[in-house]
Amino acid sequence: MTTPLVTTENLTKQFRSRNGRGQDQYFKALNDCSLQVQQGEIFGLLGPNGAGKTTLLRLLLGFLKPTSGRAQIDQKDCSTQSIEVRQRVAYLPGDVRLFRNMNGHRFLEFMSQLRQNTHRERCRQLADELKLDLSRRVSNMSTGMKQKLALVGSLATDAPLIILDEPTSNLDPTIRQKILEIALQLQATGKTMIFSSHVLSEVEAISNRVAILRAGQLVHTQPMSELKQRHRIQARLAGPLPELPIQFQEAVSIEQRPEQRVLIEVSGDFACLLDWLSQANLSDMEISPVGLSTVYEQFHANTNLSTLEAS
Amino acid sequence: MNKTLTRKYLYDARWLWLSCAAILYAFCWLRVWIVSRFDMSRFQKVLEQFEHLERFFPIPLEELTTYTGRIAITFDEPLVVTSIIIWAIARGSDCVSGELGRGTLELLLAQPISRIRIFWTHASMTILGIAGLVLMAWLGTCTGIAICEVTEKTPATMELPLLDMEIPNPLAKPQEVVRPMSELTSSWYFLPAITNLFCLGFFIAGLSCLMSSWDRYRWRTIGIVVGIYLVQMVFYIAGLASEQLSWLLHFTFFNAYEPALFVNILIRSPEQLWELARFTAEGHYERPGPLGSHLLLLILGSCCFLWATLVFQRRDLPAPI
Repeated sequence: MTTPLVTTENLTKQFRSRNGRGQDQYFKALNDCSLQVQQGEIFGLLGPNGAGKTTLLRLLLGFLKPTSGRAQIDQKDCSTQSIEVRQRVAYLPGDVRLFRNMNGHRFLEFMSQLRQNTHRERCRQLADELKLDLSRRVSNMSTGMKQKLALVGSLATDAPLIILDEPTSNLDPTIRQKILEIALQLQATGKTMIFSSHVLSEVEAISNRVAILRAGQLVHTQPMSELKQRHRIQARLAGPLPELPIQFQEAVSIEQRPEQRVLIEVSGDFACLLDWLSQANLSDMEISPVGLSTVYEQFHANTNLSTLEAS
Repeated sequence: MNKTLTRKYLYDARWLWLSCAAILYAFCWLRVWIVSRFDMSRFQKVLEQFEHLERFFPIPLEELTTYTGRIAITFDEPLVVTSIIIWAIARGSDCVSGELGRGTLELLLAQPISRIRIFWTHASMTILGIAGLVLMAWLGTCTGIAICEVTEKTPATMELPLLDMEIPNPLAKPQEVVRPMSELTSSWYFLPAITNLFCLGFFIAGLSCLMSSWDRYRWRTIGIVVGIYLVQMVFYIAGLASEQLSWLLHFTFFNAYEPALFVNILIRSPEQLWELARFTAEGHYERPGPLGSHLLLLILGSCCFLWATLVFQRRDLPAPI
């Protein structure tokens, strides 16, 4: 097994703030987070606002000092060997702010001078793909254009790890799709990517694994390959369910719901279960693959998914 | 990489520097021209009336009748000090909290550059800018001294035949003699003044960088530094105004900013320029000497810069707001 490119061990970040009475209050933005990202993997980070996604990314880049635990990228400590780490990382911040007095060309030239492994030709190529006018001054660019410019700067490097914090926010659907395609192309060249987003469908489309954060804690890690083999059946019961054959008992879970409804989840090959299903007294049957939203819902039941998708 | 950052910071600050430089150059030149228009020796009697206010003057009153003394006061003028302070506070405060507030520090630090390099490239440009501005003030003075002429009225004289002597002729009109200012003073006399001005700018830049290094809002950094500056000025004025409050002078950096006085010392007793401290006739400590003043401001400024480096190196960088 290869050494993971990114490793965090019990990574914790605690912030101090003052309440109205001038007393110190502490809160953990990230608590005891241990994860690994393998080389060549696209690793999705999911969670609502305040879940700790950006804190985790900022710890990886050395912007924040961990309260406890440690993080490593390519076996370099993110806190004490920050420059070596940043040589290996290209980062797109969640809230992109660029130098307002530069135009697109000047900005990319400036970035390529700061980072030796940025390719100017690749910058131009990406800018063309994203339909970005590089001659315009940043101060005259729309939010989406700035986002594209920052994306070009991040994606045109030779860094083995690319960290994208909400890369598709402010972009139109065509460009969003383009970004996902570029991400997959980069993965094909052996690059590793950490992709933080609120848009479940995008994460689902490109990630190999997904981590779900809730209130600063890593609550679940989901390999997408497993998710694609799971199905869920929702139906109304017209009579009692026949007994489940013993060979399916491990792969199938059945949940009785109010109003004579039943929820059946199947892991693995679904075809073998069709016989049993045909004998069951089921009506109004809906069969769907278990999507990321189902997994996400388990941990963030109160989060409005439609809001998440819209954001 | 350093060259890239240096170019960026120079580019960012170019208009502010050019404005301050133009003001300093033009004002210092103008000030010499104004000095050249008035012959203050005629006002000696008037000046004597202000003896009780002498402590508020940067130099002894009798020095105001000399061209060098009056030109030296240029470096105490609010416009000159303010121009340097504006540069020092504007650029110093931009060092960390300015970049943080604009959100561009995150972008810079996402690249393989150390925090120390970013901080010191910015701070070096600020210090270099101060040196350049001080030089412009001096060049303005030099230009004025090289170009301006002084018209002096001297009593008419008459030559005594056979004795080959000239004696004043009170019956004739006074003669007007035009002399170049360069005959009456020298640009080199003002070197202690510009050194002191540089040291003041260095200290304020260091203080601004320090406040900037732990803050996230540039407006607050500027507010804090201006607040400290004003409090120090109040200490200085109160210390000068009252004997009972003279102890306040030990707690204000303005006590180490006496450019006109140091020019006076250079002319009257140059050996005192190297004094670290000045003492009363009774041997009690009075105030820092010329060298002591320069060193005090430089040391305080250096401490601020080093402290700022430590703070910036250790702090967490908040996400842009």
